Amino acid sequence: MAATTADALTIGPASISKPVSQWGLAWRRLRRHKLAMIGLGMLILIVLLCILANVLAPYPYEDIDLKRPYAPLFSVGAEGKPMHLLGTDALGRDVASRLLYAGRFSLLVALITTVLNVVVGSVLGAVAGSFGGWIDTLLMRFADLMLTLPTLPLLLVLSSSLRQFVSLQNLLGSSLSVVIIIFVLVIFGWMGLARLVRGSVLTLREQDFVAATRAMGGSQARIIFAHLIPNSLAPIIVAATLGFGGIIITESALSFLGFGVMPPTPTWGNMLNDARGAPLEYLFTQALSPGICIFVTVLAINFLGDGLRDALDPRLKM
Amino acid sequence: MTTFIIRRLLQSVVLLFFVSILIYIILNIVPGGPFDMLKLSNPRLGQSHIDRLNALLDLDKPLFPGEYCPKVAGEQQPCRFDQGRYVRWLVKMVQGDLGRSWTMKPGSPVGPLILSRLGYTLLLMGISTFLAMALAVPIGIYSAVKQYSVTDYAVTALAFFGQSMPTFWTGLMAVAIFAVALHLFPTSGVRTSGMEGDIVEALSRVFTLGRTHPELAGQEWPTIVDGLRHIALPALVLTYFNMAGWVRYTRTSMLEVLRQDYMRTARAKGMKERVVILKHGLRNALIPLITILALTLPGLFGGAIITETIFSWPGMGRMQIDAIANVDWPVVQGLLVISAFLLIFSNLLADVAYAFADPRIQYK
Repeated sequence: MAATTADALTIGPASISKPVSQWGLAWRRLRRHKLAMIGLGMLILIVLLCILANVLAPYPYEDIDLKRPYAPLFSVGAEGKPMHLLGTDALGRDVASRLLYAGRFSLLVALITTVLNVVVGSVLGAVAGSFGGWIDTLLMRFADLMLTLPTLPLLLVLSSSLRQFVSLQNLLGSSLSVVIIIFVLVIFGWMGLARLVRGSVLTLREQDFVAATRAMGGSQARIIFAHLIPNSLAPIIVAATLGFGGIIITESALSFLGFGVMPPTPTWGNMLNDARGAPLEYLFTQALSPGICIFVTVLAINFLGDGLRDALDPRLKM
Repeated sequence: MTTFIIRRLLQSVVLLFFVSILIYIILNIVPGGPFDMLKLSNPRLGQSHIDRLNALLDLDKPLFPGEYCPKVAGEQQPCRFDQGRYVRWLVKMVQGDLGRSWTMKPGSPVGPLILSRLGYTLLLMGISTFLAMALAVPIGIYSAVKQYSVTDYAVTALAFFGQSMPTFWTGLMAVAIFAVALHLFPTSGVRTSGMEGDIVEALSRVFTLGRTHPELAGQEWPTIVDGLRHIALPALVLTYFNMAGWVRYTRTSMLEVLRQDYMRTARAKGMKERVVILKHGLRNALIPLITILALTLPGLFGGAIITETIFSWPGMGRMQIDAIANVDWPVVQGLLVISAFLLIFSNLLADVAYAFADPRIQYK
């Protein structure tokens, strides 16, 4: 078998120029997409700033200075301390430093959630699509069921009630709220990807290369993980990118309502919650910067996601 | 078509049944109950008291049909079969009884409690949905017809911004700018303190021709004006957010239609561009919007949790959050089941309406 393939290759016409892979083509299309490149650049900048938070931030994020609550922008710090570029919050903590660390937590939560959503969604979708029959019916009816549940209220219920479990509190300690929020976001987040992958698998599984794998004795698991999922990657990437923005907003919304990541861990959402509690004359300065961080990040992701959709899947052009 | 509707209705009933089970499990599987707060605030309250209170609310019974072994005053009683809390709740709910509130208004029926908030949500969501639709459709169509013009880029950019700005931020900024800095509107609430009634009561008096709320006699108009001033900011926030999505949707739909052969045919017949766009283009571009319109239904009744919270608007969304924070599960269950019902119903409505509007769609 291998010998015939090799023969066929040598007999065929020699390629004139270096062949371009499907991904190479997509990258070329993406590079021409101005907004997507702006989005990608903004995103890289934001991620770098947040990763380097411990180097760039002038203060530790929990550094309280009760003598300087609600300091305005560009106000001087305590003697021998750096300037409060974006002012301070109710407890005199440096807003700029908190924003950088908050970005770390917000982006990390969104990243882990997205990865888990992709894994759970593609595995369930691929299993449903490739096995078919009652497994397919069961999984897809369950996805329908989950999509019918009112998401935001149930996210609030789950994240507030999971906290009551004493065993979880002992096990996870201060990271409890972060783990819970990731968990509930995945519980309510996998359905879209599962449907997408199932649809893509349904068309793929009828194709010759899958039949060939089966004929050569490839197991069902090999067909799913080596052929069906990799060939569905393009729509998965687009959906995951656009979903990433949605997760950042949902996580911020939960933290904003006081049901998400708990202080002292800062996230952009719970900083906005703090801003809501500030006296009205400070509301503008307190709410401005965390909101801009969420807005700019989500905007960058939406730009990139739109570009990726055009580049990877021209049929879906919007 | 009739068989399609009947089949979908039956499926919806089954779906709603499973949704109700899932909601019940999620709410009741976790520890904690309506008397947690009571216990915290009153350390002399022993576990036996809590047990007795729980038994009053059937909370000592199993969730699903099974063995029930009651303890009376610490003494083990013989076990017997019990239908379980879920079945008890479901049977009552089917008869229209959503149970009684635990903590928000202890003992009062959940149904009327929810109804008392419905007017506020309908008013806020009705105004913002109508405004968003009325603005989004013409803007989206214009933007598509003038594709690649400056207006088109500006509209697309504004729509992109609107979709990337979370309502909890636009809400806070709207308060900071329009209420705190410019003093144009009040920061939150439904009415200025000292007012006799609020806009919903005044409107209900107007619509019932003066049969309700006699205390508002002669005060209807000032009350409504005051209410509109309070509704302005939350409505603005919701309108912008909804509009952003719908503008993009309308624009895409119209662009799709503009590429169709029948548009070229219409032009070839020598029709005026105006007629081509409005008669052949617009009517076809609006068909996909039926889905969006039908899917606004759950929000119209279910309210907007975040916006209502920011502006202390006493609607269904605000009630949802208060009920969750107060561990008032009967109220939460009622609201969740109503939202799930509306979601399923509006999906069905969207499919049926779509089939009527677009003869190309065939259901079996």
